[in-house]
Amino acid sequence: MNFLTSVYIVMFFFGIFFVMIFIIIHKKNLKSLYKSPEITKYPLVSFLVPAFNEEKNIENTIDAILKIDYPKGKKEIIIINDGSIDKTLEIARRLEKKHKEIKILDKPNSGKANSLNDAIKLVRGDLMAVTDADSYPNPDSLKNMVGHFEDEKVAAVTSRVLVKNKENWLEKFQVMDYSIIAWTRKLLDFVDSVYVTNGPLSIYRTEVVRKVGGFDPKNLTEDIEITWHILNEGYKTRMSYNAIVYTTVPSKLKNWIKQRVRWNLGGIQTVHKYWRTMFKKGAFGYFVIPYVSASFVLALIGFALLSRYLWVKGSYYLVSFYYAFKGYNFLKYTEFSISLTLLLFTASMFFILAIYYYKTGFKHSETGSKSIISILLYSFFYRSLYIIPLLIAIYKLTKGDIRWYTK
Amino acid sequence: MVYKIMLQSKFGIFLESLVITIVILIIGFSLGLYVESIRTNKIVEEYKNFEIEALDLKLQNYYYQIMGESSCNEAIKQNFIFADDLYEKGLQLEKYEEANQITNELSREKKRYVLLKTELWLNSVLLKNKCNNPFDTLVYLYEADPGSSLKVAQQKVISNTLKTIKEEKGNSVILLPIAGDLTLRNPDDKMKLGIVDMQIRIYNITKLPSLIINEKTVLSGFQTAEEIEKYLKK
Repeated sequence: MNFLTSVYIVMFFFGIFFVMIFIIIHKKNLKSLYKSPEITKYPLVSFLVPAFNEEKNIENTIDAILKIDYPKGKKEIIIINDGSIDKTLEIARRLEKKHKEIKILDKPNSGKANSLNDAIKLVRGDLMAVTDADSYPNPDSLKNMVGHFEDEKVAAVTSRVLVKNKENWLEKFQVMDYSIIAWTRKLLDFVDSVYVTNGPLSIYRTEVVRKVGGFDPKNLTEDIEITWHILNEGYKTRMSYNAIVYTTVPSKLKNWIKQRVRWNLGGIQTVHKYWRTMFKKGAFGYFVIPYVSASFVLALIGFALLSRYLWVKGSYYLVSFYYAFKGYNFLKYTEFSISLTLLLFTASMFFILAIYYYKTGFKHSETGSKSIISILLYSFFYRSLYIIPLLIAIYKLTKGDIRWYTK
Repeated sequence: MVYKIMLQSKFGIFLESLVITIVILIIGFSLGLYVESIRTNKIVEEYKNFEIEALDLKLQNYYYQIMGESSCNEAIKQNFIFADDLYEKGLQLEKYEEANQITNELSREKKRYVLLKTELWLNSVLLKNKCNNPFDTLVYLYEADPGSSLKVAQQKVISNTLKTIKEEKGNSVILLPIAGDLTLRNPDDKMKLGIVDMQIRIYNITKLPSLIINEKTVLSGFQTAEEIEKYLKK
């Protein structure tokens, strides 16, 4: 067996293994997917809404938070104006006058993590909910999340993020993408492996956030970092599939790439910071860190294999074009046919399982069942775009634009 | 004990997934091996038949040598039938080899194939000497393992050109593509197939691919059909 075949086999092994984990988790927890723990006591929840130039969204976000169904007097809202240069502060002041549960923290611009850390000092609630200023939680979201904190080991609970804007092709693909991300995160919940508490709506136990020193301003994805920090301290994180929050996703490819580059950079920074915990500390060390690290490595190997394939095929055509100009026959594609072999059987099994996994995920999402064609387009076209931000992120890291760090 | 606890806990899912994944890979691997073994067996079987045909042809050749020029037409006809069969089989073998990811069994068959073609070449030379040079021989020495995809493509263009010449000329040309870089035992073995290596030395061939036309002219690298045809009889 040659080296390349071995690489393919390793890729398919991990691919099948990960998909199989999710399929089995789903089968075993079918009845618990939509269950939210009962609430016996309603703790005070402080909503932190960091905002930088959010004049278009802030009012609707605050309105959505105010409409959240939760006992009166058990909710406070802290709007953090992170040095906005538009009318965000003005709108926030107006809202503050109208609603006594709203407080404002006005500060010079220093980024989301620093804004949250400054606001933690003002938090009175046992729980603190972080909501992006362009996100809109559903009224029942809080009640679906708070019950999880009755387990004292739970330090963070995240929600299901759905897409608000669904007009163009990119937004529509992101509707599918967010469905799969949420689905995967919910399944990870059953094995104590929720490793991201998203920005649009996540709730944290305030004392634990204070204990771990708040959000890490050096990390580009402070929400991922704090989740890993919490897990590293031995706490649990949960995901409520019933708690829904709508968010605005990038409409243009350029913005999508920019957002995903940040996610990738933050993800890589986080893996780098916590890799020493690999194969220590339960599900976090034995599954989360290897799973996330493997995802990055496999994506890169997948890209290398695809590039090699395109290069080999491309070379044939380049040579063929050259000689075609000299009057010789163009090389036919069928001359490089692939027959049924070990790789094809294994790859087919992987793709069937992956399609099944996606299909099940969509069935349990707001989009409902999707046709095979949509799933194939999503898998082969949209998911292939993932490599662009990953490569840019790696380039930025190697170039030194973004710092690696461990402390 | 640890195994039982693992299976009973929610983390047993990882163990279950691992076992199922291994089972899936084993099934995939076995099916792949099965398909390849069927394919390899088929080729091996066909080569056995070819070896018989080659031996038969050799004996016929001895016979025609003894019997005189009157038997030339029949000898040439048989030679061409065998050459065409062998050429077609070579193309098939090439495709099978591209898809063979698991075993190297086909490489042994490839060596047999090269030896058979060399034997056919020598037989053709004998026939030409005996029967007043009635046809041309085009021996195409190429690299079986060219390394770069560019070179593979280049060799494909050359073989396409030769194929076109063969199709145009029909039974006036015997086309013999022979891998010139095969080693005797394994790929790391420095000892090349003796008979092929001997030809390379005799014709002073320094690089592959090269073309030996009628045991006289050697053309290296890419050549157009017109250039090659200049050295053919018709």
